[in-house]
Amino acid sequence: MDATVPCNGIGRIRQRLVVLFSGCLLATMLLPAIAQEPSANLTYIPTVLITGANRGLGLEFTRQYVDRGWRVIATARRPEAADDLIALADEHPGLVIIEKLDVQDFKAIDALAEKYTDTPIDILLNNAGINGGARNQIFRKLRYEVYEDVLLTNTIAPLKMSEAFYDNLLASQQKKIVTVSSSEGSIGSAKQARLYFYRSSKAAVNMVMVNLALQLKRRGISVGIVNPGPTDTDFMAGLPKSMLRPPSDAVADMIRNIDGLNLETTGTFWQYDGTIMPW
Amino acid sequence: MSKLHSDSEQSYLGRREFMTAAAGMAATAFATHEAGAAGHVSAPVELSPEDQVTKPIGAGSRILITGANRGLGFEFTRQYAKLDTRIIATCRSPNKAVALQELAEDNSGIVIEKLDVTDLENIDELAEKYADKPIDVLLNNAGIGGGAENQIFGKLNYPVFYEVMAVNVVGPVKMCEAFRKHVEASDLKKMITVSSSQGSIAEVTMPMLYWYRSSKAAVNMQMVNLALQMRRRKVIVGLVTPGATATDFIPEPFRSRIPGIRQPEVAAADMMRNIDRFTLENSGTYFDYDGTVLPW
Repeated sequence: MDATVPCNGIGRIRQRLVVLFSGCLLATMLLPAIAQEPSANLTYIPTVLITGANRGLGLEFTRQYVDRGWRVIATARRPEAADDLIALADEHPGLVIIEKLDVQDFKAIDALAEKYTDTPIDILLNNAGINGGARNQIFRKLRYEVYEDVLLTNTIAPLKMSEAFYDNLLASQQKKIVTVSSSEGSIGSAKQARLYFYRSSKAAVNMVMVNLALQLKRRGISVGIVNPGPTDTDFMAGLPKSMLRPPSDAVADMIRNIDGLNLETTGTFWQYDGTIMPW
Repeated sequence: MSKLHSDSEQSYLGRREFMTAAAGMAATAFATHEAGAAGHVSAPVELSPEDQVTKPIGAGSRILITGANRGLGFEFTRQYAKLDTRIIATCRSPNKAVALQELAEDNSGIVIEKLDVTDLENIDELAEKYADKPIDVLLNNAGIGGGAENQIFGKLNYPVFYEVMAVNVVGPVKMCEAFRKHVEASDLKKMITVSSSQGSIAEVTMPMLYWYRSSKAAVNMQMVNLALQMRRRKVIVGLVTPGATATDFIPEPFRSRIPGIRQPEVAAADMMRNIDRFTLENSGTYFDYDGTVLPW
């Protein structure tokens, strides 16, 4: 105590009040930390919501996240036919929750979000995608009705999912939105003409996600775009196997990039090897 | 495009179609030469010195301009008419396009045609009507912004996305499909689309205009694809941007808030200069109004 401070009655009361106030302030600041810190570290199970989880990359994402001890909300259009996913859920009771969802059905998206109100979702993983069929995307006989379908699934469903599950993301610890895009969506990488609809749907979703990254940065939500590379799934059936990577590698690579997603790297378009794809 | 208006059950691509599609991707992706021979993939093309020489639009060139009744489309029409070109000036409602009618009365080179670029049959009919006429420059100018209020995260108006895509992406691609023979038969052989710097993913700094921006990124991709596609046929595909311009496209109160907003006559003149710069060599380039190349 400074000797020059007069120790009269009022001074003492003021000092005590200051001490009391500081103590209360300190307690208010520390108490939640004391109360929450251990439980947060020991029992918080992060949750990832994966669309199109019944096969291919979505199924592999589910497998690898559950192997890490995550809870997975795994959505599929026809859960009853998703045998591999059901088997995975049986192996991990309570950790793989299968939900019926068609990402083209925005009312169903809202209904699912409603069902999960107050459930934190750490990662929204927009995995579901369609390519529209190469035959429908040949210049001179473009089938524009297919374009609508491709845009709906690949471009705006990921945005609708982000809108619908925004509160769940905010309530979570990791707060990440991740969209599986494609190197086919890289305008700067196009060397041959093909897949007019698929490619432009991916260029468009890249733009949407970059916009979203800027939008949500100050809310603490990071937004990332990942590219699996050519992978041995039904999506790429017909390609020579020697040119395709196993889904386990593609997903492990994408998860590594998702782990690297934060508010600093938000808005990045990652090639599977961790390099940055040109737009 | 009215996908989201429809309450009916959505249809999906069946598994078999998926397989076929993937097989098609295989062919296009990894067997370039064979696929090229099949006619829908551009094989690498050797350029002749002539392919690198600029050929400006001038007297006698035939130009088709969409959305020619106002704004930049009108300005393109007015300035190209001064060069003694022949112009097919299209708009949705010619009887309401008073300024364009007056311009056409003073310029015998201007023909006004009714065209809604979202009406794909209408496009085919117009292409049929001009079946034997070479078109030097197909100028996809018509575009919509979609309204900023419909593109706010948290209250996104999804049906508007389809309206924007229909005008800004499907319209231009369909025009190129329908008029490909007219352009191929011409001297200058150019398919030009008015894009926007808002379509540059690399240049986005503020979140806004989800629909408009993604439509322009999408049309950029479509036109780059088309540039690769049409190279063997010596057709040049280009993207130009006007910069922020004082037209009805940017409504008040936004218009007067943009510092340095440009006048349509200046914006059109800049784009015309860039359109002349396109050759087969730089086909697929995305020229900003000042002549620099925009990043994707």
